[in-house]
Amino acid sequence: MSIAAPAFSLASATGGSVALAELHDDGPALLLFVSEECPTCTLTLRRLAPHVSEITAAGLRVVAIFEDPLEVAARVARRTGFAGLVLSEPSPYEVSRAYELQSLPTAVLVDRDGSQSARVVGWDAEALETLLSVALTDEPPRRKPGCAAKSTYDAAALRELDAAGELDELEDMFELGWTDGLPVTPPTRDRVAAMLAGRDPDELLGEMPPAMARVTLERVAACSVLAGCRPEYFAVVAAAVQAVLEPGFNVGGQAVTTQPVGQVVVVNGPVRDVIGLNGSVGALGPGWRANMTIGRALRLVISLTGGGFPGRLDRSTLGNPGKLGLCFAEDEEASPWEPLHVSRGYDARQSVVTVFGADAPLSISDHRSTGPEELARVLGEAAGATWSPNWWPLGGTSLFVICPEHARSFAEWGWSKSRVREAMFGAVSRPAATLRWGETTPLVQSADDDRPIGKWSSPDDIVLVVAGGEAGRFSAVFGPCLGMDAEAISKEVPWNT
Amino acid sequence: MEYVSPFDERRRVPEPLAPRPASLAGARVALLDINKRRGDEFLDRIEELLRARGAETSRFVKQIFSKPAGPEIVRRIADRGDLAVEGLAD
Repeated sequence: MSIAAPAFSLASATGGSVALAELHDDGPALLLFVSEECPTCTLTLRRLAPHVSEITAAGLRVVAIFEDPLEVAARVARRTGFAGLVLSEPSPYEVSRAYELQSLPTAVLVDRDGSQSARVVGWDAEALETLLSVALTDEPPRRKPGCAAKSTYDAAALRELDAAGELDELEDMFELGWTDGLPVTPPTRDRVAAMLAGRDPDELLGEMPPAMARVTLERVAACSVLAGCRPEYFAVVAAAVQAVLEPGFNVGGQAVTTQPVGQVVVVNGPVRDVIGLNGSVGALGPGWRANMTIGRALRLVISLTGGGFPGRLDRSTLGNPGKLGLCFAEDEEASPWEPLHVSRGYDARQSVVTVFGADAPLSISDHRSTGPEELARVLGEAAGATWSPNWWPLGGTSLFVICPEHARSFAEWGWSKSRVREAMFGAVSRPAATLRWGETTPLVQSADDDRPIGKWSSPDDIVLVVAGGEAGRFSAVFGPCLGMDAEAISKEVPWNT
Repeated sequence: MEYVSPFDERRRVPEPLAPRPASLAGARVALLDINKRRGDEFLDRIEELLRARGAETSRFVKQIFSKPAGPEIVRRIADRGDLAVEGLAD
C-alpha cells in the first residue's frame, strides 16, 4: 500500500517558497533530509554533489531539506558543492515530524503521484546507488549511521538550539568574506533599505580600484550596514566615498601599496552634532559608534567593494590599526582657530568631510613649553621621524591633531593657525650633510653640505585640526602617504541627515 | 535570508593573451619603466639582452609608479610594440 508524502511548503535558498506538489509535478523527487550539525549529512551531500546533474538529467529532482535556517542551509550547500534545490525547515520541524523521521540523513523518494516509494536512512552508498541508478565513490565509508533528527528533540533542547542558531548569520558573513576580520552586521535587504532611506540604490558614485568595481549607493549602504552604521551616518559615509573616488586622492595606489597607509576621515560642520561624532576626549580611539563605524564603512568600500583586501591586492607590509577605519570630528568649539573646512574654502555652516591618506598617529607630549616658538618646535620635530628620520623634505601632507590645551596656549600667546604652521615649518630644518645616510631624498643627495633642508616643502604641507579632551597636553601627527601624488580631498555631506 | 552584496558581482571575461611569438628576432619590444627607483637599471639590462637576440626596443616611462599608465602611453605601446616588458618595484 502506498503512503502519501505529507504536503509542505518551505523556504528556498533561491528565494520564495516551494511546495511538495511542485517537486513531483513532472517526475519523481528525492527529498534528502539533512542538518548542518550532522557529519554524516555533510558526507552524504558531498558524495552526492558530483552526481546531482546526472540524476536530474535522468528525470529525478534532488532536493535537500535542511533542519537549519536558510542561510546555514545555503552555506552548507555551497561548502559541499551540492547544486540541487535547497530548502529550509524551521523549528520545531513539523515536516520532519510528519515524515516520521528518526535520524538524518534520510532520503525519501516521492513518486510522481505523490506517494512515498522508498527510503534510505543514514549514508548507505549501496542503497542509494540502487535507488538513484548511479555509481557513487568506492571510497570508505560506504555506510555510516547519521544523527538524531531535530524533530525528535524535546522542547527544552530545541529552545537552546534555536538560541545558538542566531549566531549563524554572523558566521555566514565570515564564510562569505564580508568582513574586515571583526564581526559585522549582516546586510539584509531591510537593513540596506533603511540605510538608503528611499535613495536610488543604483546611483553610481564611481569605480573603485583596484577591482574597478562599480560603487553604487546600494553597495555603500551594504558596507555601512556591515560596519554597524546607523542610517543617519550614511550621508557622511557617502561623502567620504565620493572624496576617495576623486582622482587626486589616488585611492588605487593607497589601496594596494606596501606602505601602511589608511584613510583618515575628518568631519566638520553641524552634522557632527546630529550624528554624535566625537571630537573631544578620546577622539582618535574607540568608544563612539559614529566614529568607529563611519571610518570602517569607508574601509569596507575600499577593501571589499574595491578589492583592496589585506593580503590579497592590499600588499601593505605591516598594515596599521587605522586601516580598520578612522573617523573623528574637529572640535570646532574648543578651537581658537577657523575650522579645517573653512580653511579649505567652505562656509562654517556646511557639513564637510575631508579625507587624508595617512599612516598611524604618533603622540606628541608637551607639558612644559613656555612659549609658542618652543611648542611649535616640539610639534614639528615630532614629525621629523615620520616616513623615515632622514627623508627630508617629505613631499606630502602631515596631518596634526592639536589638543585643546595646546591650541588654547597658542591662542593665549596670540598665535593664529597660519603663524603656528609657519613656525613649525621654519623650526624643523637640518643641514643636508646630517641627513645624508641611509635612503634619503634626491634633494639631500645633491645639496651642498650646509644647505638647510626642511621636513616640508611648504607650510601648506602642514594641516592642523583641533580635537581631544579638555585636559592633557597630548597632540598627535599622522605619518604621511608618499609616492602617490595623493591630495587631501574635501566633499560636502550630500544630504541632510 | 537574502543579503545585499557589497561586491560588484559582474563577471568579467579575461582578455585573451596575444599569441606568443616564435622568435625575438625582429620583434618590436616596448620597455615600460614605471618610474620607481632602479627600474631603469633592470630595463637597461633586459634591453641589452633583447637586442642581442635581434629585437628592436623602445622605452617608455610612466609619469608616476603608483597610478595606472595613461591611455596615451598604452596606445603608443600598442601601436609600436609586438611585445611589452614592464619593470616593477624598487
